Amino acid sequence: MKKVSNNWKQSFPANSFGTQFFEEFSTRAQNVAAKVYRVKTGAEAQSVIVDIIKSSEAKKVVATSEVISPSAGLHNTLKGMNVELYTEQGDIRTHADTSDVGIACVEFGIAETGSVCEDSFSIEQRLVTTLPPISIVVMHSGNVVPDIATAFEVISKVFNRGYISFITGPSRTSDIERVLTIGVHGPSQFVVIAIDEDTREV
Amino acid sequence: MTSTNRNLRQEINEKLMDETLRGSLNRFAEAYPIARAKAYENVDDLDALRNSVRDMKIDTVERLEEIANQFEEQVTLRGGKVFRAKDGDALKQYLFDLCKQKGVKRIAKSKSMATEEIHLNHFLEEEGLHVKETDLGEWIISIAGHKPSHMVMPAIHLDRNQVAKYFSQELNKDIEPDIAYMVQEARTALREEFLLADMGITGANFGIAENGATGLVTNEGNARLVATLPPIQVVIIGYEKLIPTIKDAVPILRTLPRNATGQLMTSYMSMISGAAPALVKKDGQWVEQEKELHVILFDNGRLKAAKDDKLKQIYQCVRCASCLNVCPVYTLVGGHVYGHIYAGGIGAILTALLNSMDDFKQINEMCIGCRRCTEICPGKIDIPGLIEYLRAKSVKEDGLPFGVKAVFENVLANRKVFHSLLRLASIGQKPFTTGRVIRHLPLFFAGLAENRSLPAVADTPFRDRVKKVTKQVNKPKKRIAFFSGCNIDFIFPETGESVYKVLQDLNMEVVFPEDQSCCGKPVLGMGDHETAKKIAKQNIIAFEEARADYIMFACPTCAETWHVTYVELFKDDPEWSKRIEKLAHNVREFTSFVAGEYEKSGRLVKSQGGQKVTYHDSCHMKRGLNVHTEPRKLLESAPGYDFVEMKDCDKCCGMAGAFGVKYTELSMPILKKKVDNIRDSGAEVIAVACPACMMQIQGGLDKQAPNIKIKHVAEIIAEQIKE
Repeated sequence: MKKVSNNWKQSFPANSFGTQFFEEFSTRAQNVAAKVYRVKTGAEAQSVIVDIIKSSEAKKVVATSEVISPSAGLHNTLKGMNVELYTEQGDIRTHADTSDVGIACVEFGIAETGSVCEDSFSIEQRLVTTLPPISIVVMHSGNVVPDIATAFEVISKVFNRGYISFITGPSRTSDIERVLTIGVHGPSQFVVIAIDEDTREV
Repeated sequence: MTSTNRNLRQEINEKLMDETLRGSLNRFAEAYPIARAKAYENVDDLDALRNSVRDMKIDTVERLEEIANQFEEQVTLRGGKVFRAKDGDALKQYLFDLCKQKGVKRIAKSKSMATEEIHLNHFLEEEGLHVKETDLGEWIISIAGHKPSHMVMPAIHLDRNQVAKYFSQELNKDIEPDIAYMVQEARTALREEFLLADMGITGANFGIAENGATGLVTNEGNARLVATLPPIQVVIIGYEKLIPTIKDAVPILRTLPRNATGQLMTSYMSMISGAAPALVKKDGQWVEQEKELHVILFDNGRLKAAKDDKLKQIYQCVRCASCLNVCPVYTLVGGHVYGHIYAGGIGAILTALLNSMDDFKQINEMCIGCRRCTEICPGKIDIPGLIEYLRAKSVKEDGLPFGVKAVFENVLANRKVFHSLLRLASIGQKPFTTGRVIRHLPLFFAGLAENRSLPAVADTPFRDRVKKVTKQVNKPKKRIAFFSGCNIDFIFPETGESVYKVLQDLNMEVVFPEDQSCCGKPVLGMGDHETAKKIAKQNIIAFEEARADYIMFACPTCAETWHVTYVELFKDDPEWSKRIEKLAHNVREFTSFVAGEYEKSGRLVKSQGGQKVTYHDSCHMKRGLNVHTEPRKLLESAPGYDFVEMKDCDKCCGMAGAFGVKYTELSMPILKKKVDNIRDSGAEVIAVACPACMMQIQGGLDKQAPNIKIKHVAEIIAEQIKE
């Protein structure tokens, strides 16, 4: 997978990131209709994912290989539930539009706005987080910066070329009578799973 | 595209009758300031943040060529092609050639005001291409065949029933007017556009010279899809969106969503630098390849504006459209009466620069100069100031209509003639007056006084009363020359008497230079700088001769005209510049001056009980002179009064110089809101510190709430002084 940076964490300013900003991040993300789960391990994250798939009766899932490796076992669990899972580039392109759930990693959270910062250079990353109606992103709960200025301090160190996105809650519109309506062209559900253990895999 | 045959008055009246539009704009105008304030709650220093937007943009426009070159170089280095389009024709030709060359048939677009500016979609469709807008609001107005009526909420003029009708037509089935359902229908209908498009076109919120990235701020997620799926990506970006470095995006991202929609951040913010990967199908397999990236840097008048000392301020605009959201005129009539693409005050300016001066001339009077927009603009653009500047420019080039020019030159520039006419008017109006106001106007004037009485010209102007109210002051603290302005002199001479009483009570010697005339604001407002200079010179001479320590004003408009505009008028004239600067230094506004003196002598003691009084902040007073706490302190300390605040105390009363008379149909609804708010405050007296507001509000109260009294703050303070 193409990345803007393979080691974002190296660019975090020493004193202004960490779990101390997580609560504010979580509150603000929830204020804009994101669901936020904080778990200890990759295994716990996996069970949150399984619950979401069960309760939404999802039948098809696309995920980036970065977040789901065959060894972690989610493959088998989903197979046992009769849920299709696609993690290869071509498969993601073919199935993302008809999938119910997309799962991917994001790099860090921003407390000021409740946003997550996504390294979206790779095409599969973008397909997974834009097309399915339920978008699940996984991050490390210590990777939270206090504000946009700090976020851009990090970004300006790594962003030479590629694609970077902030995602803040689900897709929304107020274009008809200014009535807030969730889920237009992008996901209608946005779920953040923050793992305390420093892993990208679930 | 000019539209010289427009009947603006008729268009305004149609919009005023449009209940859907009025209702939705009204609700929006109520909700917006609250949402915005809440969004800024976690910003420590908003003013510093706005300064950082402004300073960064000013720095950029100063070295625009260098920045644009760097941007082009960096995009090219990363596999993109940059085309600099001089105007709409050049842009269209480039794009059309590209489509032909690459065999493009389907285009998915995400919102771009620059393409609206040149009617790009229409052009491409005429050339046989399939073009779809994917932003919901843009899509709605495209299927309705409308123009956007707001930069951020293009379909704000339509309600759910109207939208359902357009959906039903477009999708060939019965669509219920249920918003959530309609949004899902749009999602389904447009999904295929993203998936099948050969080319994606987006606008940009900023372009970064440092690494050639373009930034997109959206809520719906359509821009992400447009920039992800199609193998060819086109970004259309105006020069004003360029910024030097990645970090310079910070002040834009901290203000744009908060100011535009009251969000801390939009759902999506994407930055794309260089050609991103896309997937194309080859022999039944998806193969990754680099996208073809074309960035079109769009001029269309922008580069010329960058070289104009004043107009380059438009580079400070981040397109949040918040200036519309607080504009008393926009929130009454919506965006379509502004004629072209960009609405509101900033729209009038952009129309002048990017479209034509002819179109500007038709709509520039829709700015009433209240400066609520300037107060909240993230880039601190002086929108009313730029409109006045453009107006003056157009008057310089084309002149004023003959009749107006004749009146300005022969009447306003000649004090004796002007004042004789005012005296004559005081006799001529006799049959129509009752007390201080004209209740019924003859024949064609009747419409002017429908919901408002107009003021009567006083029997004896202030200048004829001066002798009677002037006292000998022994060992005066200061010598003060009073500039009354036309309103106090001829309509509200009692206010002038109160000013004298208060100042003399403070042991000041007050003099009235006889040769003073109108400050010239009406002439300036029309853009006639030459006549204004003549008037200013007469006033300057009169006040030099008065040899006073201070020049006192009880009208903020006159005070600001002297203090700011006179100085600007003569900035290229060394002799007069020196003379006015000396006088401008001594300009004092009455309420702030008195509050200062009272503070020193311990007279500002809060009192309670008595008549309830509320205060209306006049636009020129609060946002022009930055005086708003002082009159309140005076009212709070006036025994016999109990000060209460009213809702929207600093919103324009609708007078705004000649606007209130010329556009009565717009002035009246604005005034009605003001009167409603005064009434709701429970006040028995409304205090103002501006005679023009006093004239307007007095008229509204007379017709709509006759038991509420209006007084200039000077009168209220004067009442407290025992003879």
